[in-house]
Amino acid sequence: MARNKFDVDEKLESQFKFEYIVRLAKYLLPVKNLMFLTLGLVVLTSILNMLSPMITRHAMDVSLPDKDFKTVVLLGLGLLSIYVFNAVIERFRLKAMNIAGQSLVADLRRDVFMKLQQLPFDFFDSRPHGKILVRVINYVNSISNLMTGGLINLITDTFTVIVTFVMMLVLSVKLSLIMLCGVVIFSAVIFMMKNKQRRVWQNYSAKQSNLNAYIHESISGIKVTQSFNRETKNREIFETQCENVRTSFMKAKIIDICNWPMVETISTLTTCMVFLVGGSELVSGGSITAGTLIAFVGYVSLFWTPILNICNYYNQLVNTAAYLERIYEVLDTPVLVKNLPGAVDMGEAKGDVEFKNVDFSYEEGVKILDDMSFKVKRGETIAIVGPTGAGKTTIINLLTRFYDIQKGEILIDGENITKFTLSSLRENVGVMLQDTFIFSGTVYDNIRYGKLDATDEEIKKAASVVCADEFIMELEKGYETEVNERGSRLSTGQRQLISFARVLLSDPKILILDEATSSIDTKTEKALQEGINRLLEGRTGFVIAHRLSTIRNADRIMYIDKGTIKECGTHDELMEKKGYYYKLYTSQYAE
Amino acid sequence: MKTSKWMFKYIKPYVPGMVFAFLLTITNTVLSNVRPLIQGMIVDEVFEGRNISLLGTLVAAMLIAILLKDVFRIIDHYILEGTSQKIIKNMRVELYTSLQKQDFSFFDSNRTGDIMNRLTGDIDSIRHFIAWVMNGMIENLFLFVTALCILGSINPTLTLILVALTPVIGTAGFFFSRKVGPAFRNARACLSQLNTVAQENISGNRVVKAMVREGFELEKFDKANNAYKDANIASNRIAQKYMPLLNFLANTLNVLVLVVGGWMVISEKMTIGDYVTFNSMSWALNAPMRSLGWLINDTSNMLASAEKVKEFYLAEPAIYGNKADKERNKRLEGNVTFKNVSFSYDGAPAIKNVSFEAKRGQTIAIIGETGSGKSTVANLMFRFYDATEGEVLLDGMNVKDMSLKHVRKSMAMAMQDIFLFSDTIEGNIAYGNPEASFEEVKEAAIKADAHGFIERMPEGYDTIVGERGVGLSGGQKQRISLARALLKKPSILILDDTTSAVDMETEKYIQEMLAREGGNRTMFIIAHRISSVKNADLILVMEKGSIIERGTHEELVALGGKYKEVCDTQMGSFNVKEGE
Repeated sequence: MARNKFDVDEKLESQFKFEYIVRLAKYLLPVKNLMFLTLGLVVLTSILNMLSPMITRHAMDVSLPDKDFKTVVLLGLGLLSIYVFNAVIERFRLKAMNIAGQSLVADLRRDVFMKLQQLPFDFFDSRPHGKILVRVINYVNSISNLMTGGLINLITDTFTVIVTFVMMLVLSVKLSLIMLCGVVIFSAVIFMMKNKQRRVWQNYSAKQSNLNAYIHESISGIKVTQSFNRETKNREIFETQCENVRTSFMKAKIIDICNWPMVETISTLTTCMVFLVGGSELVSGGSITAGTLIAFVGYVSLFWTPILNICNYYNQLVNTAAYLERIYEVLDTPVLVKNLPGAVDMGEAKGDVEFKNVDFSYEEGVKILDDMSFKVKRGETIAIVGPTGAGKTTIINLLTRFYDIQKGEILIDGENITKFTLSSLRENVGVMLQDTFIFSGTVYDNIRYGKLDATDEEIKKAASVVCADEFIMELEKGYETEVNERGSRLSTGQRQLISFARVLLSDPKILILDEATSSIDTKTEKALQEGINRLLEGRTGFVIAHRLSTIRNADRIMYIDKGTIKECGTHDELMEKKGYYYKLYTSQYAE
Repeated sequence: MKTSKWMFKYIKPYVPGMVFAFLLTITNTVLSNVRPLIQGMIVDEVFEGRNISLLGTLVAAMLIAILLKDVFRIIDHYILEGTSQKIIKNMRVELYTSLQKQDFSFFDSNRTGDIMNRLTGDIDSIRHFIAWVMNGMIENLFLFVTALCILGSINPTLTLILVALTPVIGTAGFFFSRKVGPAFRNARACLSQLNTVAQENISGNRVVKAMVREGFELEKFDKANNAYKDANIASNRIAQKYMPLLNFLANTLNVLVLVVGGWMVISEKMTIGDYVTFNSMSWALNAPMRSLGWLINDTSNMLASAEKVKEFYLAEPAIYGNKADKERNKRLEGNVTFKNVSFSYDGAPAIKNVSFEAKRGQTIAIIGETGSGKSTVANLMFRFYDATEGEVLLDGMNVKDMSLKHVRKSMAMAMQDIFLFSDTIEGNIAYGNPEASFEEVKEAAIKADAHGFIERMPEGYDTIVGERGVGLSGGQKQRISLARALLKKPSILILDDTTSAVDMETEKYIQEMLAREGGNRTMFIIAHRISSVKNADLILVMEKGSIIERGTHEELVALGGKYKEVCDTQMGSFNVKEGE
């Protein structure tokens, strides 16, 4: 699989589709009544707002010359009540848009996050994590206004434009057509710029994503950076990333900046044309009268203001499209490993495992497993050994269906594992992973991850089975001590013990230990071994370890190299055979 | 330092350009009156007055004014956007530099998601302020003052009555800013928390899947997501309350003009002409007042963000180098001395009274149980932490008297917890020495026995490894990390559990290679396996933070203590096997 690094722009797999907007609008369905109500109220306000110039005009034209102060006060009260009404409606509108906008963002973000939980390792492995994070957080945040306040304004503005245009048509078809020409011209210009504009915003979003990736990596790898004195070099790289963000932003922004003035210029030109044509008609005694012309001019700015607003909205839409595409790219990523139709709950497995002629490769052409077959009976413990990169971890990834195989079958209790739901399969197959991950929270929280409803007592018991109890009690707050992801507080061995306790607590029927004990000292490991032996009773076990003393006790040992099983048998059998295993085993103490 | 003062430090170099932009803004504010003015003249003079000859001139004047205005507008916005981008770039780079200086206790107590958010979202709200809000303030202030002057010269009494409303609006604005500030700070904190939850979920995606905890994660995420949503709704709710109020107050100006002005006209204290002017100019007073709402809103938002950015920027690392260190560019010889060193994390002791001496060229091994303090010894040598008591000396100098560069320059560590970057394998090995040639990278890889498996990858050294080296086995990661350390050609090499995940043959190869080319290099081997440590010149056996035994393999075996015990457990099987 092709991997992306922080300073390479991610390629966009899919192009922007109008469908995205429709799908986005669906998030507003739960609040559609609120949206319609708001729309209605906003239209009502704009109508009311048309009243206020009439009130002032009446005062100026009639009441003041008549010295009718009473009417002036009445008009003043009328104006005041319009403003009060406006304030009330504005408050309602803000409230409605607030709720609708924030809910849309929260719901969309939830869907993106939920999708991430279903995506396979490849998705996470093939790009820096900062680039995934930026989609969930920063990109989604930028959508909020587009569909709520912006949408309402778009609708009311369109409404105003249409009404105004009809009024203008009634006054003079000829002049209206001139105005329409202006609209057509600038629409054409904007439309022509669309592709360029989209490209520059896409470029900017890619640079933002790169920067985010680099920040993420810099924080996660700070220890390496400091120990290698890389600060200056990193600062240079970071500066380049920032500079890329800046220049790409400016390239995108310049189009935005020019957009508005351009539309204004075209609108002014059109207005000038209207004046010139109207003026000459007036002179030549054409059909247009002075009165019509004056009334027409009154509509000109009423016509252009909403068009400028719509234009701004369009701009915003094009800018956000760059983010929307990325969000929908995640949402539309096919989930390769998923429940097949009719998948059933596995229930509690008995623990028979079989690989039947399994072929597997992560990348096309590089076979990791090649026609592998083996059988493990319930309760048996199998040790898998072999040189680094031989495919040991892959077997585990396949058994837990983190990846699907290309050929062959994997069976548990004689049934193909694809028949079962993923969650029930994985609940039966517990894995103690090579890379431990500690979540921020207490030690309790981290162990409880294996069984969410575990009591403190259960947690302590699991911890003591894996010999983690002793060091935990020595932390300043014991089980309540806060630890975190980078947690330099805990040594690698201690983190392994915690994650071991986590797996124990989850109580799986098939247990896989993947180099689980490589950083644990011999004494602890010995105690641990006893714990494991107790635990493995009645369970099927797979042990991957390089320390052969750990695996000698297994019922059977499989030596794997280049994706096939080279040897299989008990420790004694294999030692007698004097083959691969013998060579590996003796090299441990050979001197 | 006050947040505003801190901000100004960044703005200062760009003040001339910004002042120019503000002048353009003001010019445009004036120019925007031209169009309605000329439009009015066309109606009055040309259409009503039938003075057609004027039409051409007026249209041309209008066109020129608008063209000028549009050009100014483009220049204006370009300057402001450009300036804000430059300022946030400088902020980001300085913040990043300051972050890289922070010591481990800083990274222990600040979550990745939070730090990231300060470098992205928070800085973006500063950008918005510089590019838009400041300009809005100037524009509105200009409008307000101009309108005040013009109206004041026409009718001071009515103007004063209108201005009397200002304190009311000001008070409302003051309460708004007082309330919205904390709400924004809360929203910012919630966003950081949300970022943290999402970030941990993404980084820990393997564990999440292995434990089938997608549902639990979603619950955790929902909590943070909803908290952020609620915080946003809450801060907007304050705006919902105050913005319409401020708008309403600004609008009452129109009512005042209508009623009070009307009364003045009727009582002949003002001409109808002045009244008309007042009426048409009142928007210039009322628009700035109406803008007050969003100006306060966005400024408060920026301040909440700026405080967070500033806080990190000003954070002083507890561990910093001695700038007066004159020998900062010298390589270390490789002598390491620990004199009665103790260290504790938050009061929990990690090592107690540790003393030893390592001479140039020696190999020192540290063996002990998980959590016995082995890695702490390495962390103190690198000055990732400072000893609580006692002294750590390198070539006889106390590490606290040296520059950090001096301490770390000629020391390299292959760490227990391997971090690889999302870069090519070549880039990862050359991390400590970016100028290294490909030959040097290859040489280091060969020494670490990594060359073979790297060559077997389809893209060889150009293979991009995922963050944390996902896609590589534990043993492969360890060997890349070793190659990375070797390429630095250090005088002191620390191998912290570096070969635990590689198979035995590989370990043997690596050990032989290291011994062969060792020469003057001081080497520390932190390990669990006897086979990894037994050839060392000095073996330190640690237990619960103290050195309980020390000596060579033979001495320690003869001593018959803890080391012997460990030895027997590990080698026991070997003896049995020999008997077979």
